[in-house]
Amino acid sequence: MTGLPILDISGLSKSYGAVRAVDGINLHVDRGEICGLIGPNGSGKSTFFDCVTGLAKPNAGAVKLDGQDITGWSLSDIAREGRMLRSFQKTVVFSALDVEENLVIAGQMFTFPGILSTFGVGSAARNRVAALRERARELIKIVGLWDVRSQAAGKLSGGQQKLIQFASMLMPEPKLILLDEPMAGINPKLIERVVESIRLANMSFGVSFLIIEHNIDVVTSLCTRVVVLDQGRKLAEGTPDDIVQNQAVREAYLGG
Amino acid sequence: MTPAELSIPATGRDLRLPFGVALAALACAAPLFLGNYPLHAIIIALIFLLPAHGLNLLLGYTGLLSLAQAAFFGIGAYTSALLAVHFGTPFYVNFLAAGVVAGAIALPLGIPALRLRATSFVMCTLGFVIIGQAIAKNWISLTRGDMGLAGIPKPYFALGPVSFTVSGTVGFYYLVLVIAAIATLAAYLIVRSPAGRNMIAIRENETLAESVGIPTWNYKLLVFMISAAFAGLGGSVYAHYLTVVSPLTFQMYYSTTMLIIVLGGGAGTISGVIFGSLLFVGLTEALRVAPELRMIAYGFCLLGLVFWFPSGFAPIIGRFWSFLERRK
Repeated sequence: MTGLPILDISGLSKSYGAVRAVDGINLHVDRGEICGLIGPNGSGKSTFFDCVTGLAKPNAGAVKLDGQDITGWSLSDIAREGRMLRSFQKTVVFSALDVEENLVIAGQMFTFPGILSTFGVGSAARNRVAALRERARELIKIVGLWDVRSQAAGKLSGGQQKLIQFASMLMPEPKLILLDEPMAGINPKLIERVVESIRLANMSFGVSFLIIEHNIDVVTSLCTRVVVLDQGRKLAEGTPDDIVQNQAVREAYLGG
Repeated sequence: MTPAELSIPATGRDLRLPFGVALAALACAAPLFLGNYPLHAIIIALIFLLPAHGLNLLLGYTGLLSLAQAAFFGIGAYTSALLAVHFGTPFYVNFLAAGVVAGAIALPLGIPALRLRATSFVMCTLGFVIIGQAIAKNWISLTRGDMGLAGIPKPYFALGPVSFTVSGTVGFYYLVLVIAAIATLAAYLIVRSPAGRNMIAIRENETLAESVGIPTWNYKLLVFMISAAFAGLGGSVYAHYLTVVSPLTFQMYYSTTMLIIVLGGGAGTISGVIFGSLLFVGLTEALRVAPELRMIAYGFCLLGLVFWFPSGFAPIIGRFWSFLERRK
């Protein structure tokens, strides 16, 4: 099984009326890989993410996660399974709850076998929550929010909320995380923190990533392979260096 | 160790325990220094505490405003009354049956209602109360319509060869006190469980809760049923206390009373709801001395509450605690 890519997408297409937002894309993410997905606005990156994660139904193509065909699964089916998680461009946290509580909630449904077991108050339930809390604290240290862990998430800056969201995604021990513009709207100092957190999660937990990002410096420093989309089609694929040199990519996206 | 970690107030628990013990002792000793009328008011307050705990789980913790508590209160009252009158079953059987029946009826009602969005859901739950009253009025062969069911026996216990009847205000007071304590403990355990944390997550942001794998719809349905069961249990005690039930048991006034208890006491807190039920039910009873002005005065009290304490009394109780801690 280890030879198989963690995510394998073939011939994925999605049309809205006459517009072919995603047009027969083949893409794979290898185990332990950080793969970048770039392209101009409207090139179909987010639609592609939506089709992969069940938010939109593709018209054609197949999505295989860890060898299993998950084409047509709903967003909540995929979310509940916890193997593949995605972030959205808009950051959402449980604003009134503190950082630690945010993370514990994010992990809870993946530790308890069913909804009724969550009503348990015995030692089994307490041990599960204690283990979650321990993991939450470990992750809070990794993303560098230890000093603010008891503060309400809503009081923190947008960048810090992004880090909460990122740490929350690591709670269920996923195999693959899809990030939609993780660096949008955060200051340069925090960008470094996010990059470092992604790298740490990749190295210490073996999580694979597929990242949509416009910040080309981040993409080149973080990703081992980059896929470029343009008008719903795959324009190019290769190492960050290849992509930066690629004439077609420069014309369509990078400019100059 | 960061400063935040060191400053966790260690005195918090120390203070709560003696206060809890003192409060429990006071509650147990109340019949020694309170007359029958104040005891009656406390009994009514403790009975209403049950549906209020249920509503607090639904509204305060899960964020769903329901006006259906009176419907389940009525269902519980009628279930208990019918069992006691027709079959002469002991109190604990009627009591548990009332909770189970109310909770079970909440299932088919909750499935369509919870598919509605916020305001439509509220209107729908209001409909349940009206339908409940209509059924109680018109299913005459079962409920005797507007005449109601009278002669419901006082709580009667039969455990093997031992049997006894709880009668008199003092006896009933202790019975209700025990029931209210158990219900409070149950509500406390639910909100402290991992499920309670998921309920808060749903209240805070349902979409986000769904995206971290919480089956929000199932939780809402389950909490709706639990909340109905709490109301049904309260209705059962009410029927056995008044010894009569009528279609008036299904009235909006009860739903609004429960709502006022929860919102006025402090939604999303257990102690606030206890305080709210004693205050608001006690208040309506106390205002009986001025019957003409009663509802007007009550209305003004509510207006004052909304203006000065918009989040209920829970924050004031919280401030009281921290004041005591500072003094210590």
